[in-house]
Amino acid sequence: MRNIFPFKYKTKRKLNGFLYVLPFLIGFLLCFALPLMNTVMYSFHTVRVNDTGGMKFAYSGLKNYMDLFQNEVTTTAQPMVRLFINQNLSILTNVPLIVIFSLFMALLANLKFKGRGIVRVIYFLPIIFGLEVVTDMLAITTGGEWVKESSGLFSESYISSLLMHYTSIPNSILLPVISYVDKIFDVLSQSGVQTLIYLAGLQSINPSLYEVAKIEGATGYETFWKVTIPSIMHITLFVTIYTVVDMFLKSPISEEAYSFAFEQSKIGTGSALSVIYILNVLLVLGVVLLVLRKVVKKYEK
Amino acid sequence: MKNKTENASFGLKVYLFRKKSKNIIQSVFLFCIIVGLCFTILYPIIQLIPSIFSNIEDLGNPNVIWLPMEFSMTSFKAAIRFSMPEGFMTIVKSVLYAGLIMGIQVFVSAMAGYSLARVKFFGHKFVFFLVILVFLVPRQSLLLAQYIYYSHFNAFGLLKFFTESGEINLINQPATLFMIAILGFGVQQSLFVFIFSQFFKNIPNELEEASLIDGCGFHKTYFKIMIPNALPAISTVAVLSFVWNYGDTYFTSYFNKDGPYFSSSLARVFSPANKQFVLGAVKVWFDVPLATDFAFDAIKQAAVLIFLIPLLLVYFGAQKWLVENLENSGLVG
Repeated sequence: MRNIFPFKYKTKRKLNGFLYVLPFLIGFLLCFALPLMNTVMYSFHTVRVNDTGGMKFAYSGLKNYMDLFQNEVTTTAQPMVRLFINQNLSILTNVPLIVIFSLFMALLANLKFKGRGIVRVIYFLPIIFGLEVVTDMLAITTGGEWVKESSGLFSESYISSLLMHYTSIPNSILLPVISYVDKIFDVLSQSGVQTLIYLAGLQSINPSLYEVAKIEGATGYETFWKVTIPSIMHITLFVTIYTVVDMFLKSPISEEAYSFAFEQSKIGTGSALSVIYILNVLLVLGVVLLVLRKVVKKYEK
Repeated sequence: MKNKTENASFGLKVYLFRKKSKNIIQSVFLFCIIVGLCFTILYPIIQLIPSIFSNIEDLGNPNVIWLPMEFSMTSFKAAIRFSMPEGFMTIVKSVLYAGLIMGIQVFVSAMAGYSLARVKFFGHKFVFFLVILVFLVPRQSLLLAQYIYYSHFNAFGLLKFFTESGEINLINQPATLFMIAILGFGVQQSLFVFIFSQFFKNIPNELEEASLIDGCGFHKTYFKIMIPNALPAISTVAVLSFVWNYGDTYFTSYFNKDGPYFSSSLARVFSPANKQFVLGAVKVWFDVPLATDFAFDAIKQAAVLIFLIPLLLVYFGAQKWLVENLENSGLVG
């Protein structure tokens, strides 16, 4: 390549670098910034579709937001507030479970044993099973007696009744544990990508760290807490963010937004719901990050 | 003296025995956990087997638990007839579309990720923040505005130089999906940019310096040095991208509804509202007077198994890459 432009190396490098992100920046304006602005704008207007095809806007202030929480109900006839509360609660309880569980899966997949290739493929299957089409199609609509939901397996099993009746563990401890074990398929089905990310992280830990720990005489338990956990703490941050966003993506709130916009043609109210939805996601992420920052800092010392 | 060595060897034997038994117990325990987890993951598929291979009239029979009374492929035949209007070509086209978009996504996100990680141009931190912001905002929340916007697409008003009305309708055109992917906003594409940028940060600076001294320009360094080194990240992103694009019902059903996408045609045909139609058609086609709701489920599940075949093939093909190459991949920030 001849030097067509009389630029310094550094300037040229910066220009080329900018060229590489340019598609993304154009896309950001076209596919993200404009729709986001429009969503916010629609949410403050009453939107009507003209007979000729265009749209008519009438400024209505906060009316859409008030309607959303006072008059509108979800497709299952619940108040909107209820939907949001349920969603946030389920996210705050499930995210730690999913994160810890995917770390556990990654640790297992990282062990050396015969046939781990197949085991890894099976462990990554939840990425496929998590696809919206697949979960929708696997759901059983008829609810016949002969097909059991896998999510109720443990609480109906002999082990759980054995634990309940013949051990002296109080029910107040046992019941939540059993219900968590029951949720194992839900948790499993949402932890495919996280396992993949954790596995990559585990494999990028410098092996010499483990060697040093071995020479110093650390037990496996100590090695895990002093070497493995600190080395993957920042991945935990990323995994947590991913999990929160992913759970919001699959939440029923998005279906409500769709139903407002396309089925009831209340574009303004639907947009208001979207705005609240975005704010809610950012709020939950803020809280989660605030908590995690403290934990991560503790380990990075 | 003799007594002492005997004692020592006895002690050694006890020690070895204890160590061995501890190892055995540990590995049996691990084996149970690993197999148990695999079983839990596979359970929903395993439990489909009796229903999808049964005769449609046997469905719902409480006597049939694990083995079908009479082996039959009727559900599969029905599923193929419903979900693949163009026959085998539906799958082929769907795979090709997903593959093409995957290629575009990998290409664009790798470039953006490289630039964000290695080049300190003005405002690179801000762009990185934008990538994360895009990832954080749920895509459904922008659906409505996007839909309206694409149906009167004017590209900042630039299109009035090319068309009469100054806008085009991008809804229901395959080109829309490609355009979105090229602009970096396909399925989860900001996540891919993020993964790539984290990966490129980990590649040592010396590689780039060496290629500069050898006389490579910016683009040559990227394509000849960086891309071959990024194969682990590329394979990870490619598999994720293919799986998500092939299974996507969001972009496909809103922006290209009539396109030959297996996923969106499945979602359309087997929506609950369509149940009576499906059952009626089954009764006529296969001459079964007794098609119940169970039959609808069985056909639906047979269809999803057909849908999964290309994905499973990709998994087994990429398994070696995912397993071996990830060992050098750095998602580490």
